[in-house]
Amino acid sequence: MTTKLKEVDVVIVGLGWTGGILAKELAESGLKVVALERGAPRTSANDYSLPNIRDELRYVVRHDLMQNTARDTLTVRNNPTQEALPMRRLGSFLPGEVVGGSGVHWSGHTWRWTDMEFKIRSNYEERYGKKFIPDDMTIQDWGITYAELEPYYERFEYTAAVSGKAGNINGQIQAGGNPFEAPRAKEYPLPPLTPILASEMFSAAASNAGYHPFPRPSANASQPYTNPDGSKFGGCQYCGYCQRFGCEANAKGSPHMTVIPIAMRNPNFELRTHSWVTNVLKDNDGKRVTGVTYTNVLNGEEFEQPATMVLLCAYAINNVHLMLLSGIGTPYDPVAQKGVIGKNYCYQTGAGATLFFEGKYFNPFMSAGGSNATIDDFNINWEFDRGPHNFVGAYNVNGGFNTALPIGYRPVPSGTPQWGSEWKRATAKWYQTAMTIGASGSVMANRHNCYDLDPTYRNAFGQPLMRMTFDYKANEHRMGTHAAQVINDIAKSMNPTKLNPAVARTDPWTVVPYQSTHNTGGTIMGTNPRDSALNKYLQSWDCHNLFVVGANVFPHNASYNPTGPVGALAYWTADAIKNRYVKNPGPLVTA
Amino acid sequence: MRVATCAAAVFSLTLFLMAAARADGDAARGQARFQDCAACHKLEAGSNDVGPSLHGIFERKAAALTDFRYSPAMKRSEISWTPETLDKFIADPQAMVPANRMPYAGMASPNDRADLIAYLQKMSK
Repeated sequence: MTTKLKEVDVVIVGLGWTGGILAKELAESGLKVVALERGAPRTSANDYSLPNIRDELRYVVRHDLMQNTARDTLTVRNNPTQEALPMRRLGSFLPGEVVGGSGVHWSGHTWRWTDMEFKIRSNYEERYGKKFIPDDMTIQDWGITYAELEPYYERFEYTAAVSGKAGNINGQIQAGGNPFEAPRAKEYPLPPLTPILASEMFSAAASNAGYHPFPRPSANASQPYTNPDGSKFGGCQYCGYCQRFGCEANAKGSPHMTVIPIAMRNPNFELRTHSWVTNVLKDNDGKRVTGVTYTNVLNGEEFEQPATMVLLCAYAINNVHLMLLSGIGTPYDPVAQKGVIGKNYCYQTGAGATLFFEGKYFNPFMSAGGSNATIDDFNINWEFDRGPHNFVGAYNVNGGFNTALPIGYRPVPSGTPQWGSEWKRATAKWYQTAMTIGASGSVMANRHNCYDLDPTYRNAFGQPLMRMTFDYKANEHRMGTHAAQVINDIAKSMNPTKLNPAVARTDPWTVVPYQSTHNTGGTIMGTNPRDSALNKYLQSWDCHNLFVVGANVFPHNASYNPTGPVGALAYWTADAIKNRYVKNPGPLVTA
Repeated sequence: MRVATCAAAVFSLTLFLMAAARADGDAARGQARFQDCAACHKLEAGSNDVGPSLHGIFERKAAALTDFRYSPAMKRSEISWTPETLDKFIADPQAMVPANRMPYAGMASPNDRADLIAYLQKMSK
């Protein structure tokens, strides 16, 4: 028995950063907006303050803010010859499931992706020729430019209280910033966080090697701040509990303490929590969506919420899942290379070294999401010639810590026994003396890496699970090898007492342990409906009143964390809806 | 026990003398210092947020609001909020009330604290 509710202007599926931004913006423009969030309502005052926080067991081991895999999960495999099996416990990535979404438990790293990504195929073909790109590498231009997104990046950075140092303001290179970044109109809203010893040592070594270290931009307020919407931030206390936790000092830019409470105060907006959307409904000819069906997970009641416009703002994987379940757009077929929904799933790769310095005291319990230094010499530096190394893509290198939690952080030199009294002695001896240098690397789209619906396994609602087929390819192996060499050269130059060197990831990808919650692609944006699911305004090519927002729109994955462009694109889409779509509903780009 | 009480009394007296708040704070400058507090504390009555409302702070004892969830440490502290006690608390909250749940490392400058307290005296009424 499904209860049909009164029609609203906009229904938003999922209330994290993208849903929160769109909810606030569209409610303020006068539209009646309902958001459906599958998770619970949680607030800083009730939930992200003592004694409910700094609890590693609850949040890290038991995933308190993350998707419940007993209700819905994915099946995973490396290639089509394997049978995909359900991921019964979260590992490699951690989708949020709460009001605020993954924006509650992120670290805050906020980057601007540039035309190096948005024009990737054109860039590589122009410089290296068409043959440089392998046949099975399905990278494509995004159909958007950095210049178009620049004001929206700024908007997001000022909303989320990003601390950093500009490297390029209107073309003028700025000392202390990232010299390779694309020009920005304004400085960051806040100065960088206080560097920690480990990041200072890394920066010194990187400078000596001729690289260009800079403080990592991060939505951790380096001092008290009031954003342009009036949301108030406390200054970061360097407690080290960013990643996987809500911030107790209100210092980490998160949707639950910025855009969402503003939307909640607007009478045009209504939030329904514990509301699990099972289907996006279409009209008879499939040209428009008409609303969604959802289930209240507390009591099993089913509802139909009609809406003039539907915005999918759930976690990237779940947005794609909902498109496949609802039969919107043509599912991607990797054999025929036809269809678009599920295409170009990408992940990230990396390599890391641990350095031990007898006699140093790094105080690893004090850090913040952005308390490390970065070099982009092998990332958005187009002067770096990929030709001799034969890879497409990029990586950034970081030194320092973001977090060092009491249960999980036990650095020991390789060769130490993995348990027993010898291990205990080693963890005590080396705890204060260890620091890391790591690389985060891009993953290029590949025709075989994709999503579809699993033929066997179903979720608690009787719907097919999402199936993920993914593995790293030779391109990523070559890049990882290069990154490991750079990391190890910097590490050795610092002359550590002991070094666990970086090793390139060349084994098949597995769903354990945790690696990165930067899953991208599946409903990608692009210039035409043959190659992409959405136009540059994240509007469905198939149903013009459906917008799909999140990292699922990225045609490939860069080395940078995705939240910068995710937030910027949410503002960009909000403007397109408010200023153009509402006045003249229809396709914003002619196919 | 008796010796310990005496020692504690002498210790408190010393602290009191050392930490005597400056009375000449500037409320206008204190408004800017209040940025440090504003993400969690409001000044209107009944406006508890992450932290308790600061309305009427100088007329009450610590942990006096019935509709705010104070830490056991704050409940046990038996502090009466005065410009002097607040000055000492804000200088290093965990030193004065160990295990209180306010995530704030402290305001080091006595001048800044005097300005903040002048602002609070004006605005919390």
